[in-house]
Amino acid sequence: MKALGFIAVLGTGLLLLAASRDFPNWGDPDSPASSYRLSRHFITETINETAVPNMVTAVLADYRGYDTLFEAVVIFTAGIAVIGILRRYGSRNSIPSARETPLTPKKPDLIVESTVRLLIPIIQIFALYVIAHGHHSPGGGFQGGVIFGASFILLALARDLKAAQNWVAEKRTLILACCGILIYAGIGVLCQFLGDNFLDYQILHRILPTDPVMARYHSILVVEIGVAFTVTAIMFSIYSNLSSNGKMKEGI
Amino acid sequence: MIIPIISAVLIALGLLFFIGGAVGILRFPDFYTRMHAAGKGDTMSMFTILLGLAVYQLQDPTPAHILVALKILLIALFIMMTSPTSTHALIKAGFMEGIKMWRRKDRKEKS
Repeated sequence: MKALGFIAVLGTGLLLLAASRDFPNWGDPDSPASSYRLSRHFITETINETAVPNMVTAVLADYRGYDTLFEAVVIFTAGIAVIGILRRYGSRNSIPSARETPLTPKKPDLIVESTVRLLIPIIQIFALYVIAHGHHSPGGGFQGGVIFGASFILLALARDLKAAQNWVAEKRTLILACCGILIYAGIGVLCQFLGDNFLDYQILHRILPTDPVMARYHSILVVEIGVAFTVTAIMFSIYSNLSSNGKMKEGI
Repeated sequence: MIIPIISAVLIALGLLFFIGGAVGILRFPDFYTRMHAAGKGDTMSMFTILLGLAVYQLQDPTPAHILVALKILLIALFIMMTSPTSTHALIKAGFMEGIKMWRRKDRKEKS
């Protein structure tokens, strides 16, 4: 059986290697991806159509906003699945965990405590910066959301899960995750109500005090905030479920 | 001309500290001494390398380059804060778990 698997892997790998010769060279200007008129349109017209200097953000949140919406939904679904599998309410059918007593002592460590207290505000401000600065530099909702979620995880690691849940209780986490998706999809539906396609932001200039180009610019920010909500909440939710064995009590 | 030399010296010094840390991780006898080598070597070498990079940015002291240098120094500051803390946390966790410290007599028993 092992030999069969090895042969299959080897055959697939050889096929892939053989097929890779048909790829255009890296950065080839004549390759189909570079010469097709759509990519030329993105490169030359993004700044005129959306006023976003960072082309990647514009393509991600505007031109293929539908795809990004469902990427956010994928993250949301993953978080819900982790909760559905791991979360255990009450004490019935509780499997004894490998380590009932927490590894770290109850009393928080002074050095770790002070460093965490110094760092968490900075991490959170940086996360907001990454979310809001996605128009100009690498960043955006997914990255900023992960950084923001990591700040809660850091608190849960340094103290315990209780301390982090005093900030974001489980219920609030889930509401936040749903809110993120609702903000994103709501913007799309709003565009439909105003008489344009789903997620076609330029029609929003009717309710925003800007022209159509700036309406697209600002809608991208709103959409990124929605994504950041979902990613933050799901990051922390997955961590707290995994680390506390679904009981949401001790954690590591 | 002097600025690239300063930056190269700083980066080379950082690499030297890195080598020290790597040799320490490989050669020291137990968990605590290894963490000591890793924590000290990494922190100091990252600091000197980042300082070298920041100095290199100042060759052409336009506001944009000075901003980049300041950002690099911020990274250095955060590494100075977090790296010793993580070393401390790891060593404390090891101590709580009861990992034995290396003593001179251990070496004699082995050889």
